[in-house]
Amino acid sequence: MSAFSVKNVNQIFGSGTAKVHVLHDVNFEAESGTLSLIMGPSGSGKTTFLTIIGGLLTPTSGTVTVNGIDYNQRSKKQRDALRLEAIGFVLQAYHLLPYLTVADQFTLVDKVKPKGNLTKAELNQVLETLGIRSLLHKYPSELSSGQQQRVAIARALYPNPAIILADEPTAALDGPRVKVVGSLLKSLATDHHKAVVVVTHDSRLIEFTDHLYEMQEAY
Amino acid sequence: MFLALKEIKKEKFRSGLIIAMIVLISYLIFILTSLALGMARENTDAINSWGVAKITLSSNANVDMRQSFLTQKQAGTLSKNEAYLGETPVVAEAKGHQQQSAFFVGLKSTQFIAKKIKLESGHRVRHSHEVVVDDALKLKGYQLGDSFKLNDDKTKFTIVGFTKRAKLNVTPVIYGQLGTWRALRGIKMGPVTSVVASKTNQYQSHQDGTKTYTRQQIINKLPGYQAQILTFVLMIGFLMVISMIIIAVFLYILTLQKLPNYAVLRAQGIPSKVLVGATISQSFLLVASGLIIGTVLTAVTGLVIPAQVPMAFNIPLLAVVGLVILVMALIGSLIPVKTVLNVDPVSVMGGE
Repeated sequence: MSAFSVKNVNQIFGSGTAKVHVLHDVNFEAESGTLSLIMGPSGSGKTTFLTIIGGLLTPTSGTVTVNGIDYNQRSKKQRDALRLEAIGFVLQAYHLLPYLTVADQFTLVDKVKPKGNLTKAELNQVLETLGIRSLLHKYPSELSSGQQQRVAIARALYPNPAIILADEPTAALDGPRVKVVGSLLKSLATDHHKAVVVVTHDSRLIEFTDHLYEMQEAY
Repeated sequence: MFLALKEIKKEKFRSGLIIAMIVLISYLIFILTSLALGMARENTDAINSWGVAKITLSSNANVDMRQSFLTQKQAGTLSKNEAYLGETPVVAEAKGHQQQSAFFVGLKSTQFIAKKIKLESGHRVRHSHEVVVDDALKLKGYQLGDSFKLNDDKTKFTIVGFTKRAKLNVTPVIYGQLGTWRALRGIKMGPVTSVVASKTNQYQSHQDGTKTYTRQQIINKLPGYQAQILTFVLMIGFLMVISMIIIAVFLYILTLQKLPNYAVLRAQGIPSKVLVGATISQSFLLVASGLIIGTVLTAVTGLVIPAQVPMAFNIPLLAVVGLVILVMALIGSLIPVKTVLNVDPVSVMGGE
């Protein structure tokens, strides 16, 4: 079943001589239960593509349909609600709120979305898998880059979204941790029937993917 | 509130600095307000203690009780609601004491003003050489039974009672008999009083050469009173506006620093109203904390400040001032709200 689809999407930044056509007539479809990997050189528009799929950026042209409804037909508020309910972002810079402990990062989600989140047991399982269960009372400043990245992954999974969009989720992780995160993302797709899209340079994730896409450099 | 509390808890030093700034601002405003009120009271305490509503003066006295002289005919027939009152500036002089400027107020002991004077100690005036004085003279070393001379009068006046808050134009009042006022003024015949004061609003003199004023009109014409009040009101007003700007700038900078965090939350679909709520509730918590500490400091100051300092702590007034500071600070905290609403979640997406 298609979780979302992208049709004829173009993205142009700037104008005149500064004009950059980042995305050209991109068509893409992600099905629930699959892990899609999007690779490509720097500047090819991977993150821009992810931003458009996530409803953060309206493309210059083309349509993005999530749960059967085009983003253009949703108000800003409805898009916010969709991101909160259905899309989990794992950002490249894994920004965690600096004044919230790891536990508080999840409590905040409970405050704005009281229902439909992972149960305590499920969360503990995720934390255990990622090896961060003992860090619940730590602030982000007390964590290493790798630990912060794993907390950011857990936070993105906590609202139990149907779609997971990850931007370089393994950038700060060593080999064994890449395998853990890759397995977790794969498990979310196959065992929990989520559509997982990962934008990355990290070829170590290829072994976990169902679909591999490569983006060409923008011009 | 959740985000606000967590941030204050984590950023103790930064929050502490902002609270400290609000404490100092609120303390300064509270103290200035109390000082303004204290000064205003020292101008009007005596008049307010008489319980008068209307006062008749000579029409040519420029609304100044000291310059007014009414004859028996001008004073008219008095009911139990009216009283004579003779006022004159004097200098009290006694051995072992510095000269003390004061206002002598002569009263008739059978009339309502004399009966309304509340004694802190001693007894009421019974004889022409007896006086009841403001307790400011007690602070200058005078005691019950002490005597002093007034102006060039040969009579020695004995303090038989002290009364609290009996000041007129920031000068202590010496209460005595009406006859003594005439003697101090050197009046042998003619005027019988400076003014006729009435406790009813309906009172109005229709005698030639007289004019009736409300108590507030008399107060407003006290020398320097309006200028003093206006100065304090402007000072406090400007201070409040400046404080609002300072607090708003601090809160704005605080919010700007958090924009990347807010962008992340927006990317995650956290509604704008949650972020705006966090911004405003953080401002509320910081300002309210500062106000509470500022209030405690003001209360402590009120307990330890010397009695000579003219400060009056009026809790309802200070509560209103505190509320105004809080409201103005919250208005200031609304300034960065537009920035929060416009935060671009794309800005936190890395890569290309």
